[in-house]
Formats: sequence, structure tokens, C-alpha cells
Amino acid sequence: MSTEAIAAERPKRNYNALFGLTLLALLVLLWVILSLATTSFASANNISNLLRQGSMIAILAVGQTFVIITGGIDLSVGAVVGFSTVIAAMLINAGVPVFVAILITLLVGVAIGLFHGFGIVKMGLPPFIITLATLTSLRGIGLLMTNGNSISINNDAFQEFSRNSFVGVPNLFWMVILVGIPAYIFLHHSRWGRYLFSVGSNAEASRLSGVNVQRTIYMAYTLSGLCAAFVGVLLASRIGIGNPTQAEGWELQAIASSVIGGTSLFGAVGSVHGPLLGAFILATINNGANLLNVNAFWQRIITGLLIIVIVYFDGLRRRGK
Amino acid sequence: MTSTAQELHPAPTLQPGRTILELNGLEKRYPGTHALKPVHLAFKAGEIHAIVGENGAGKSTLIKLLTGVMPRTSGEVIWEGQPVALATPHEAMALGINAVHQEVVLCRHLTVAANMFLGEEESRFGLLQQRAMVKDAQKIINGLGFDLPAHVVLGDLTIGQQQLIAAARATVRGTKFLIFDEPTAYLTRKEADQLFKLIRRLKGEGVTIIYISHRMEEVFELADRVSVLRDGTLVGTRNIAETNEPELVKLMINRSIEQIYHKEHFTPGAPIVETKNLSGKGFENVSVTVRAGEIVGLYGLIGAGRSEFVTTLYGRHKKSAGQILWQGKEVQVNSEHDAIRLGMALAPESRRDQGLCLNLPVGMNLNLPIYKRISSNLLISGAKEKTEADRQIADLRIKTPTRNALASSLSGGNQQKIVIGKWLAHGAKLFIFDEPTVGVDVGTKAEIYRLFSALLSKGAGIILISSYLPEVYELADTLHVFRRGKLVATHGFRTADHEDILTQALAEKQEKQGGQK
Repeated sequence: MSTEAIAAERPKRNYNALFGLTLLALLVLLWVILSLATTSFASANNISNLLRQGSMIAILAVGQTFVIITGGIDLSVGAVVGFSTVIAAMLINAGVPVFVAILITLLVGVAIGLFHGFGIVKMGLPPFIITLATLTSLRGIGLLMTNGNSISINNDAFQEFSRNSFVGVPNLFWMVILVGIPAYIFLHHSRWGRYLFSVGSNAEASRLSGVNVQRTIYMAYTLSGLCAAFVGVLLASRIGIGNPTQAEGWELQAIASSVIGGTSLFGAVGSVHGPLLGAFILATINNGANLLNVNAFWQRIITGLLIIVIVYFDGLRRRGK
Repeated sequence: MTSTAQELHPAPTLQPGRTILELNGLEKRYPGTHALKPVHLAFKAGEIHAIVGENGAGKSTLIKLLTGVMPRTSGEVIWEGQPVALATPHEAMALGINAVHQEVVLCRHLTVAANMFLGEEESRFGLLQQRAMVKDAQKIINGLGFDLPAHVVLGDLTIGQQQLIAAARATVRGTKFLIFDEPTAYLTRKEADQLFKLIRRLKGEGVTIIYISHRMEEVFELADRVSVLRDGTLVGTRNIAETNEPELVKLMINRSIEQIYHKEHFTPGAPIVETKNLSGKGFENVSVTVRAGEIVGLYGLIGAGRSEFVTTLYGRHKKSAGQILWQGKEVQVNSEHDAIRLGMALAPESRRDQGLCLNLPVGMNLNLPIYKRISSNLLISGAKEKTEADRQIADLRIKTPTRNALASSLSGGNQQKIVIGKWLAHGAKLFIFDEPTVGVDVGTKAEIYRLFSALLSKGAGIILISSYLPEVYELADTLHVFRRGKLVATHGFRTADHEDILTQALAEKQEKQGGQK
């Protein structure tokens, strides 16, 4: 990939890269401190575990970032994850081939995203409202479908996948790479990515410049829904059940990861690598706090404070520019 | 507590004619620009003092300094004989300095009464006295001679009516010094007359008025004295009785009209677009032809239907009747997309709202219409993106450090060059410019007009919408006059005089004259 390919973005990219670097530095710093402070952190087992923990939020955060760049928000992703575990579990238990079951689950995610696009573009609903509505109703639909019970998945191969590794790296982390690379090319090297930014910056100016604003919005929410359904499949594999109440609050973790990664909630600013790092920083904090026997209640407080500090410094840097 | 309108107008303590506010070397520098060079000026109590100057001459800077919105770089401000800091808007208001801005800065979702008393609500035991406030507000409004209800939501009024409310609001604050910043830009003539009545009345009560306007006729109608700013320098102050329009214009622009309006004549070619009895929301029965190499000017007041006509032509709104012919063939333009595909380009009126992605780089703004062309399949060709942007920046002489600077960091004139320039690479055949030189300084204006010539020489046609008569008069090969949604007159290049065109654009005036004849 030539560096020129994103030349028009250079100062932002330099700055993004710098910000990415400082985030990476923060992540490495956390890892170094935790390795010294605990005996178990640096073990292969724990690192694999950490990568697994962070992977799913990371993928959600990528989808969420596309939406936030257009100036919107997708509150439904956690519910879509839970709902997708139900769909995947039911299909697999009904004897549908795993590959087909996954494909159908992903299509359900796409359909939910299209519905969000429809609500925003055609019904004129604010993104916050339409995705809040699907957040609650999807959980309800899932509970109706399962009668409030969990569905155990009786397919060992499907569950094996999330536990296994490939060349020493957990499969779940490979999935982050599988999503991250195309997402990066899409956002930073394709004109559709450019349109996400331009719509988030000024929808009217984009429309008058010939950008199909409606299609761009449909696209952002569809991608977010797709990412969420994909995470649903991964979660179903990891926990071995379908349960619509799973992934409670994941939408907020995804938004937090995205924002820690430098995405502006006002739109038009964001990247793919930032949210990925943000997700793994959050995962590291939780993992480290567990190992250090920090009270789970404190973990939440620390996470909250950290979001404030990181975003505050990001804002300072931005204004300083 | 209940206040009456009378109590809300404390009689100014100063004798008319005495100096109320004195500027002693008032100066403002921004990084890189000297927005206001040391100004020495004394305002007399109870005078109407007009300030005129081109956009970017330093008028807004002066207002911002006087209302405490921005700190000054150096100099002194003497208020009623005492030096004052004017560091915050609050301090300025406490002294009695208020401003009525061109854009209404009030809360659109609150009622008229709530807006009038915003920040000084009447309350009893901590509860708002809503009914009393509506009553008092109504009394004030009636007292000013405005026929407006106090209980309605502000946003339901027209912009002009909101402007009157803003003015009324300023008068109830114990104001001694009131600044009007182009208050009539969005007013109808009737509303403007009401405003003038209010201004004269305030003057009668001893309030000092600063009146900023582009409209010379208003300056001569209202003001006692006039000061002229040019490039941040105060170039002169005149008693209104001792000056005339040509002198003021000369002071303002310091160059002749021919130097600004660069006009080349090309032989018109085949028609690019024709409308036949086109009707839509806000206009009806408009037939206009634009040929290659010509500028078609659309002149009229704001709300006369010019913008509605071009946005319908551009596919933004549905037409209700009539035909659009593109290079001789009838076409349906159902969306902006269709229009752009045919080869139309629209540089909209409001730069910030419709024209630019302010927080994105200059290069991306310039390339936005042509991303399809500079990408192969899905991926963007980085080299093309770079060269296209750099070429445009050079061609248009956009002053920017690099193509990667954010559009928001550029001056208004350079932003406008982006809005217009991004269509040049697109290769459109018909360019629609809606008020292209609003908020742009003279130098940039001249450059934009030169761009027009460059486009015409390549065989494009231009529709130029302007509320500024000299602009369309000096540039348009064909000049159409709009009034209340109808095309009421058509002239060739400089074939009618200003007076006739104005008369055709102003319905009321014409009716009055018609009555006299």
C-alpha cells in the first residue's frame, strides 16, 4: 500500500498515527507494569485469554466507529450480539450446516442494520432513538423465541473454534485481523470511506457534491449490524449457548473503545486502528484488575475515570493543533 | 415584581451631543492578520452613527470588541469619561452596550416573552411569573408599534419578525448604546420601516445607535454621521449632509468599479439548458435559457423565488409544471445526482451550511465531487487525489499551507474558492452560483469573477444569483428580474438602468409609482 494513497489525509493521519502510537504506548506500558506487578499476567495462557476477551468488543467497536463517523450512534449492537447467539444456536441445533447457520445469522445482522438506515433516512428518526428501540425490542424478541431459557448448542466443532489457536494466536484474535484489515482499507482507501467522513462533516454539502447521503447512512448501519452479528456468532461459539440477554452493556463498551481510540462523537473524525487499541486497553484494565484482585466494583470506577482522562487529553491535543 | 414598559426604558443621563464612548487607538491583531488598525473615534450620545465598509474591512471585529466578545490587543475605550476594560459580554451589557445581530441569536424554541426576559425573568418565590411576563412583553411590543404576539414560540415567526423581537429585547435592557449589525438583510420593506421607526424613537430617547449596513440608501436615510472602514483602517468620518454615495464608495473600495468587475464577452453558443414555463414551490412559469459562454443573472429580493428556481432545476425539489431541456432534449431531474450527472454544478448560498465540510482537509473538499473519477473500482488512486488537489489549489490561488489543512482554518474568501473551485475539475457544463461573493473581500471577489471568465471561455454557461445589483448588472449578459416567484423583466448587458431594475424588483415601490402615474 503506497503512502501516497492516503496523502490527502496526511496531517490527520500523522496525528492519528501519533495518537495511535500513544495509545499503543499506553497499552504496552500497562502490559509492562502488569507483568512486573503480577506473576500470572505474562503467562501465555493469560495473554491468550486477554486477546479473547478484547476481540469481540474490538470488532463491535470497528462497526460502531463507522456509524459514529457519520455523526450517528448505534446503541443496538449489544442486543444484536445477544439476539445473534439465539439465531445461531437455534439454526445449529435444528441441524442446519454451521456454515449456512453463520451466513444466515450475519444476514439477520445486515437486515437489522438496514432497518436502522430505513428508520433514520426514511422515517427521519434520530439514530439514538431508532437504535435504542431495537436495543430493547431485540432482547424482547429473543426472550420470546427462547421462552427466557438459554439454548445449549450441541455442536462441539462449533464451540472448539473459539477455544483453539492458530500458530499460537487465539482464533478469536485472528477474527479481529480478518475484520480489521478490510475495514481499514474500506475506511481509509475507498471513496465510500471518504463519503462516511464527508457525510459526518456536512451532509448537505456532500449531497450537493453528488454524494449519495442516504446510501452512505444505510451502509454505515448495515456494517455495524454485520459486525455485531459476527460477534454474536463468535460469542455463541465461546459460551456454547444462545441467550438473548448476553452481551448486556457491550454497546457502551464498544462506544467507549471507539472514543478512547480517537473517534469524535460529533462525527467526521475516526480511524480503524484507534478503536481496536481502545478495546484492548479496556480489556487489559479489566484483566489486570482481576489479577491484582481489585474489587470488581472498583474496576468499573477505574474504567470510567480512564475514559474521562484519555478523552480529555485527546481533546487538549486536538485544540493544541 | 412587575415592570412596566416605562420602567424598562431608563432615561439616559447624558445630554445629546456629548461624547458617550471614545475609542483611543483601539486595535486588534489575530495571528497573521491585523484585523483592526488603531482606531480613534468618538461617538456622541443620541446620534445614529453608520459604519460602512466591504466585508472583511473590520466592522465585525469592531463590534466584537465593543460588546466584549473578544479582548482588544491594545488601545483604550473611554465610556462616559472612564476607561473600561470591556473584557466580557456581561460587562458591556452592564454598561448599557447591546447589539442586534444580522443572524438572530435567540432561543427559537422559547416564546417571544421568554426570549424578551431571558436572563432577567420575573419570578415570585422562585416560580416564574409566566403570565405577567407575557403581559409585560406584549406591552413593550405594542409600545414599540410592532404588531406581534408575545405568547407564540419565536421560531414560528419569520426571520424579519424575529429580528424585530431581538431589537425590542435590546431596548428593554437599560441600553444606552445599541449596535445594529446589518439588521435589514432579511427584512421585508415593511418590517424594515418598522425597525427604522424604532431606531429613530431610540435616538429620540437619547440612545446612541451604531448602524452597520451595506445598503447606502439606508445609511443616508437614517444616519447623522458615517464612518468608513477599509482593510481594518478607519479611512474617514463624515457628516451625512456633507457627503454623498460616490465619495463613500470610493473611500470603501479605493478602486474603480471596472477594476473589480472583470467582464469578457464571448459569442454565445448553443443552449445548454432551457426551462419552459417551469413552476415549483416558490416560483411559477419561469422560462430561462442559458447558452454556452454566457452569464445569466437572476436578480431580486431575498424570497423572490430565485433560489427555489435553481434548486428545482438542480433536482432538489420537484417541479410542479413545465419542462427542462438539457442541450435541446427534455430531461427529468429528480435528484441532485441526476443534475450532477447531466453536468450541472451548484455552489450554494450558505457556505458553512451547504458548501463545505469544515472539519475535513481542503484537498478532500476539493475532490469530493470527483472521487468516482479518481478511484479505480473501490480504491482511491492516491497519486491522482494528490495531484488533483494541488492543481486546484494552484489554479484557484487558494491560500492554504497544504492541501491537508482543515477547511475551517481558511479565510472566508478562500473557503468560497473551494466551494466554487471543486466543480472546475468535475467538468460541468452549467454552473449555478448562488450569492457567490457574500462575505468575501474585494480582492477575492475580483478573482472569483475572473474564474467566471475562465469557465465561460471553456464553453460553460453560468447562472448567477445575486441580491447585489452592481454584481449582476456588471457581469450578466442576460439579466432576469424576479419578484414574488415570477420572472417580471429581462434585460441585456447594461441595457437598463439601476433605477428601473430596482423598481421592477420591488413590488410595493412599483405599485406606489404606478398609482402616481
